[in-house]
Amino acid sequence: MLDDSRLRALMRMAQAGDARAYTELLTAVAPRLRQIILNQRRSLQAADIEDLVQDVLLSLHAVRSTYDPERPFMPWLLAITRNRIADRARRHARRGAHEVQVEQWPVTFSENSTNTDSDSYGDSEALRHAVERLPAGQRTAIELVKLRELSLKEAAAVTGTSIGALKVSVHRAMVTLRKSIRKS
Amino acid sequence: MSMETNAVIRRLAGDARPVRPLASPWTRTALWLALAAPYVALVIVLMSPRPDLGLKFSEPRFLIEEGAALATGIAAALAAFATVIPGFDRKFLLTPVFPAAIWLGSLGEGCVRQWLVQGSAGLSLQSDWMCLPAIVIVGLVPAIGMVAMLRRGAPMMPCVSIGLAGLAAAGLGDFGLRFFHPQDASLMVLVWQVGSVVLLSAAASCTGRYLLSWRTVIGRTLRGVPVR
Repeated sequence: MLDDSRLRALMRMAQAGDARAYTELLTAVAPRLRQIILNQRRSLQAADIEDLVQDVLLSLHAVRSTYDPERPFMPWLLAITRNRIADRARRHARRGAHEVQVEQWPVTFSENSTNTDSDSYGDSEALRHAVERLPAGQRTAIELVKLRELSLKEAAAVTGTSIGALKVSVHRAMVTLRKSIRKS
Repeated sequence: MSMETNAVIRRLAGDARPVRPLASPWTRTALWLALAAPYVALVIVLMSPRPDLGLKFSEPRFLIEEGAALATGIAAALAAFATVIPGFDRKFLLTPVFPAAIWLGSLGEGCVRQWLVQGSAGLSLQSDWMCLPAIVIVGLVPAIGMVAMLRRGAPMMPCVSIGLAGLAAAGLGDFGLRFFHPQDASLMVLVWQVGSVVLLSAAASCTGRYLLSWRTVIGRTLRGVPVR
């Protein structure tokens, strides 16, 4: 495990534009971030922890100019990590506050055709399986844009595709999901 | 490590452009003040300085209140710049407290003195709606500059950062206001001028989440990332 003085040196080089040092730094801190997040939020699932690790890496990158090379690196990174964990918890709570748990959807119209089984679909487990069965590109697009709610620009930067290609992937993934859910 | 995290690391390393570390909050405060001062001076000149300004400079109370208003603005700016540095020392948040206490203390003492000398007539309150828009005008450019500078940092406490930015700009605004607005009754200054500063700071704080957010900071940074 790299000590703080090494991390500080790597960050200094990264600020100067050294891509190799930056890769080494990010690769070294990612497992630590995973451990820190796991320690603070034991209830999170592995996928959520990975999302948070990526959020922190993106945040580190976005505000790397705020790091003062004369100061220790880990406290700076920990502050960002704690902030992103709290930020995510707040978002989660806000989203939860706007969701209404309904046991059974009421009948919307008197016509039977408007009250088919597919309208009352709510099997999140089946949806998760359907997402897992998507081709890799479509799955990544759906996860970034729909589940993690990144903007198209952010998601395009993460995946390394163009925004247009990402839109197509999201659209195709939605069509595939719709079909597989209808089948099930 | 997951494939996706590895991919993120590769993308970010591909964007390892050189960045200049942000200057310290002290240096940034000095820079902000250097940019804001000429604008405030220009507004004072355009609004015509009050005729008794020379006389006012010989009054210790006026000097203390103006000094405290200016110091509150500068201290709030320092605290605001500190809040956008991850892991900043929380003591910075207390820096505006001391000058603000002197400012309020001086005005409070003025109110008591006027009450002792003139009785209840000394504490009469008239409407003075000019204060709020005048403080906004004087503080507008400093506020815009401050927000632009804060957006280069990390949105660790958006509402606090922008609230402090509001206090800094409004404090500077009130400092400038008293150069052209001949209103010196302590209660009037306390209610209309300090009240406007508090109101503007609170309003600014409410906009914090819209002006500073991780989503914006990350989106802005990744915009420049080359797409394969």
